[in-house]
Amino acid sequence: MSLLEVRDLHVWFDLSDGGQLHAVQGLSFDVDTGERIGLVGESGCGKTTTVLAILGLLPPSASVAGDVRFEGESILSGGEETVQSRRWKDIAMVFQGAMNALNPVKTVEAQIIEPMELHGTAEGAAARKIAGELLEMVGIPAVAGSRYPHEFSGGMRQRAALAMALACGPKVLLADEPTTALDVMVQAQILQVLTGLARDLGLALVLVTHDLPVVAQVCERAAVMYAGEIVEVGAMEELFHAPCHPYTRLLFAATPDLYGEEDVASIPGAPPRLDREIVGCPFRERCDRAFDRCGRERPGLLPLGDGRAAACHLNDEPVDAGFRSR
Amino acid sequence: MGRTDYLIKRAVFAVATVFVAITINFFLFRVLPGDAVRNLARVPHATSALRHSLEVQFGLDKPKWEQYLIYLKELAHGNMGVSFTDQQPVWSNLREDLANTIPMVSLGTVFAIVIGIITGVLSAWRRGTRLDQVSTNLAIAFYSFPTQWLALVLLIYLAAWFPAHGRADPFLINPTWWEHQKDVLVHMFLPSLTLALTLYGEYTLIVRSAMLETLGEDYILTARAKGLPQRRIVTRHAMRNAMLPTTTLIALSLGYIVAGAILIETVFSWPGIGNAVYQAVTERDYPMLQGAFLVLTISVVFFNFLADLLYFKLDPRINE
Amino acid sequence: MAMRPDSGEGIAGALEAAPRGSGHRSWLWQVISESRQAKVGLAVLLAFVAIAILAPWIEPFDVHTRVGPVYAPPSRAHPLGLDDGGIDMVSLLIQGGRISLIVGFAATLVAMVIGGGIGIVAGYFGGWVEVVLMRITDYFLVIPDLPLAIIVAAVWGASLTHLIFVIALLLWTTTARIVRAQVKSVRERVYVERARSLGASNARIIFRHVLPQIGPLLIANTVLTVAVAIFDETALAFLGLGDPTRITWGNIIEFAFLRTAISSGAWWAVIPPGLCVALVIMGCFWLGQAIEDALNPRLKVSYLSPRVFRLRPLPITEARPR
Repeated sequence: MSLLEVRDLHVWFDLSDGGQLHAVQGLSFDVDTGERIGLVGESGCGKTTTVLAILGLLPPSASVAGDVRFEGESILSGGEETVQSRRWKDIAMVFQGAMNALNPVKTVEAQIIEPMELHGTAEGAAARKIAGELLEMVGIPAVAGSRYPHEFSGGMRQRAALAMALACGPKVLLADEPTTALDVMVQAQILQVLTGLARDLGLALVLVTHDLPVVAQVCERAAVMYAGEIVEVGAMEELFHAPCHPYTRLLFAATPDLYGEEDVASIPGAPPRLDREIVGCPFRERCDRAFDRCGRERPGLLPLGDGRAAACHLNDEPVDAGFRSR
Repeated sequence: MGRTDYLIKRAVFAVATVFVAITINFFLFRVLPGDAVRNLARVPHATSALRHSLEVQFGLDKPKWEQYLIYLKELAHGNMGVSFTDQQPVWSNLREDLANTIPMVSLGTVFAIVIGIITGVLSAWRRGTRLDQVSTNLAIAFYSFPTQWLALVLLIYLAAWFPAHGRADPFLINPTWWEHQKDVLVHMFLPSLTLALTLYGEYTLIVRSAMLETLGEDYILTARAKGLPQRRIVTRHAMRNAMLPTTTLIALSLGYIVAGAILIETVFSWPGIGNAVYQAVTERDYPMLQGAFLVLTISVVFFNFLADLLYFKLDPRINE
Repeated sequence: MAMRPDSGEGIAGALEAAPRGSGHRSWLWQVISESRQAKVGLAVLLAFVAIAILAPWIEPFDVHTRVGPVYAPPSRAHPLGLDDGGIDMVSLLIQGGRISLIVGFAATLVAMVIGGGIGIVAGYFGGWVEVVLMRITDYFLVIPDLPLAIIVAAVWGASLTHLIFVIALLLWTTTARIVRAQVKSVRERVYVERARSLGASNARIIFRHVLPQIGPLLIANTVLTVAVAIFDETALAFLGLGDPTRITWGNIIEFAFLRTAISSGAWWAVIPPGLCVALVIMGCFWLGQAIEDALNPRLKVSYLSPRVFRLRPLPITEARPR
């Protein structure tokens, strides 16, 4: 049993014309204590929706199927009531664009203390002390806590949001693009903090990002998402050196390498529309290795041993057909 | 620009506006077609000798710019002239009128603000539901009712339980202080209720709009993620932010209420400043009219300035 | 209360949502047809306008002829009873609607012309012209409307034309402010600069490029201003400053008050005219607000809602290898 288990997660959004957008299409993954897993993909592939769904923060226009289990207990199938009790003290989140996640009329310190007092993990002077320590941990002087968010720079606010997320000592941290809009030095510091927390305190980290070097630095494993589903999952090294899905390969190739000499490759085309059912493989249009089976049959996530899996027919074909050349 | 700098600028503007109002006040009555001045300055049933002496007393026979200076000088001494109707100093009449208007208007306004905030917050929170639709349209309806008409409707249906005229019962002989207060309050009920009903709609809409804006901010989603119950998010996070523009807008509207109470005071014969304006118009009591107008203008300027001050005090973002 | 149109704050982003050039009329129609609020408002207004236009033909009785006793209660012949002169209330309301609407529209027109003109000049030419005009506008905004109107009306004398101008005097400031803000932001746009560099005259630029852009918001503002104009008319009429020789809804209410309709228990002389006024104002409000909301893209989705996400059973798909 893993700490956090996502099983067959589906999310639909109601559209104004009466149709539905199938934003997440049967997602499953596990996170263990102290594990750092990345959720990678282009914008619009459903990664943010996935983490919002875990905490039950989807809007009323959303419908959800599947299950999320925390420490073995199902938290999603009971709706708002069951997931509400887990928020922040078991599973916490850092949002994309965290600079706006802080309330402008309250001090930073007050906002960090608030969940502590709400969930009963600490109060009064003890809470203030913890808040100060959390701020120091993310590189903000503790005395700055009595200031207001607008007095912080964007990067500081993002770090403060991270400190706030850790206030109740959660077991799982969902981080949605936590280092976008931060400069490289601060970014490195934050990533170091996150890695340290996972190693020393056993914090499980789900890092959602489109920034591959960030994932490479922090995460041991990653799941690559495309068009609302996971198309490949495995250890970082293997994903980079021996990808089993064309999208993974192209994705890593598209990352500019400062020292490399190859031209930067980009993936032509655009992701498929999610408001209608997809026939065959969603990546077919943009794939450089597609063949006729890809147009008829949608590949499922095929386990390839050693915790690896990929959703590609290429892994299914007989080895001597010559299609797995690299 | 510095915080104090801005406030000083606003204060100067306020003072300048009062000055302009005084000037406009002066010119409105005197730099008009001659007949109009004669019209207003006419005292009912006056002999031409009395009329002439009044003209001299008010300096109506001197050139305009001299009249203006006399007017300013008198104003500086707190002398607004003498009422044509009852020969009393305008200022002492106005003082009494204000003392009557302010409690009635305050009571109604406080109720309007409280009801407006509650309905506005609830409507925004439950946006799109039946509650929201009913509440919003009710607010629009009350906002659209002509004030005097609403007063008359309340008169028709509630006159059986509440007095319909004046501020005190003329037949109450030698009341104790407490009896007198009770009597005044009972008389105040209908006018204040009318004011509250006519005002609250605007506040509902203001608060609802501000709350909707706030509820779309990212920190609300964060608050939900923190596990805060909805009610707490509304009261501790959303309202504090929404109250910023709301307070400013409410403060701005306060200046206009005193003037708008004219209609209510007329219907209920409430002896306040609004009624004084009405009487002054009917009786062509030009000094009273001028004095009342000035007082009302100053109240608007004052509340506008107050709104500026409040905004500064409440928003921690206005800093340097 | 002396009703005031919206002070025009928060319209900065409004221009972005409005379409350019000739698409306006169809865009406006689209906005209206998509909003139930706008449709209801428009329907109410059109109904009243239709009644006002058809007044001479649909009045059941003549408004100058006595047809029964003073304050006769509603009956089959007279669904809304008779007033203190024995005149049929329904006919009075129809006639009154005519004049009230005319006054409302005319006052709004005058206010739009004055306010719009000042706003355009101030916004387009900028500099000290703008400063002076805006200071004047600011001072006017601060002066309490109803007392000002009372004084001007009292001094100037009672007549319909005077009434129209007095009301317009109260309304032009808000329009001027809104128009100025709009014109300023339009002026900065690229195509205006281009037109100017091509040597187009100021008038041409204003009429061909600036005006069409501010059109939609001006329409919303106009509709909302009509509401205030009609409100002010009833207020001034009530204080005896309207034209006593004409029949307006405001006058009907005033006469009912002065001629003891209340103590006679004649609610039918009081309630219907006020309801008519309220309905017209609400119609204007619904329509104008709907247009303004469509122009204003700032209304975000709320993160707080009484409803939450819904749960569904897993979809049945072809068995896929896991």
